[in-house]
Amino acid sequence: MNSDNRYNRQIILPEIGAEGQQKLSKSKVLVIGAGGLAATILPYLASAGVGKIGVIDDDVVEVSNLHRQVIYKTSAVGKSKVEEAKLMLLELNPEIEVDIFSEKLSGKNAISLFENYDIIVDATDSISIKYLINDACLVTNKPMVYGSIFRFQGQVSVFNYQNGPTYRCLYPDENSNALNCEDAGVIGISVGIIGMFQANEVLKMILEIGEVLSGKILVYNILNNEQQKYDFDKSDIQSISRETFEEKYNKNEVEEISFDVVLEEINNDEVLFLDVRNEDELPKISLKNQIKIPLMHLENEIEKLDKNQKIYVFCQSGIRSKTAVELLKNHQFKNIKSIAGGVLGMKQLLQEIKI
Amino acid sequence: MIEIKYFGAVAEKTKCEFEKLSFSEELSLQKLLQDLEEKYAFEALTFSVAVNQKIVSKTKQYQLQTSDIVALLPPFAGG
Repeated sequence: MNSDNRYNRQIILPEIGAEGQQKLSKSKVLVIGAGGLAATILPYLASAGVGKIGVIDDDVVEVSNLHRQVIYKTSAVGKSKVEEAKLMLLELNPEIEVDIFSEKLSGKNAISLFENYDIIVDATDSISIKYLINDACLVTNKPMVYGSIFRFQGQVSVFNYQNGPTYRCLYPDENSNALNCEDAGVIGISVGIIGMFQANEVLKMILEIGEVLSGKILVYNILNNEQQKYDFDKSDIQSISRETFEEKYNKNEVEEISFDVVLEEINNDEVLFLDVRNEDELPKISLKNQIKIPLMHLENEIEKLDKNQKIYVFCQSGIRSKTAVELLKNHQFKNIKSIAGGVLGMKQLLQEIKI
Repeated sequence: MIEIKYFGAVAEKTKCEFEKLSFSEELSLQKLLQDLEEKYAFEALTFSVAVNQKIVSKTKQYQLQTSDIVALLPPFAGG
């Protein structure tokens, strides 16, 4: 198949030409989320010849996705979204590379992932992830193409483009509680239109044509076709360094383990169970390899514990045990986890096996 | 007379997408936002505020002028 032929109709546009097509084939775009917005963005980037496309999402296709996530067939229900997306994109255009990541974006993987791409596209449906994407884009110095939907309205913008304003400049209040599509309802057309605006911003940045939506938010209403643009400035308090990023997203992450996994190790001599409840708390739990240190005494009695031992901490409901894990981690304990749900969660399983 | 535009979840609270408001004495942006909060109880809803297509700080000292257009833009989350 001749590559020039495939892209001929866009190459003959004077704004693109063979040089523009080269730029497209050398570009690397990461799309976060493989839902409604991505279902529009991905095929257009692939068809246009964007050389490398990454997609990250850990969801499987559900039947209630199909009305708007139009790249998935009915027969794909129950299958991994990113795997289905990859199959579809490579059928559309086998000349490109598609990398898929079947995981959630987090403070742990965001930065190393973003470093491999030129442009990051937000096709997610969660405000907290949008802040994470924004912050990781600031750390890695990548532009973020934002899109989101509320019922029949959508917003589009490009953040951190050539050091321009960011999501935090537009929405400084991180504790907002906007509804996502699952809760608010959505029609396929609105994610399609907004996704197409996003794909358009991606191509404009790669091709260096037109005006990028930087420092502007576009708001579109599909019911009355009203389209507004609002300008916003870069605020000086919104810079994020690598250190503040780590502090915010990775420092206090306490590892939890569920009790049914713990059960397999309940008689393992290498594992120590640490009960941080007070003496009078019921039910009493006595495991083979167990120590009791109430949380309030933990710091003083820390020398009773071995920093290199595998320790599972529990309390009544799984909250104090998290605090204990944090405290011990700050004292360089390496292999320590909190048992999710605490004794209240353990009780039933313990009764069943009669320890 | 000023015009106020509402978007997203804010418009669901106000049950309209825009309204016009006349005021006789001086009206500051902060006072307008207070009045709207009282009238519609936005409560936990967060939004940014634009005056004449430009996002401004909600605490900006600004006297509204006749023919100003104010917009309340909440973040959207769907996708």
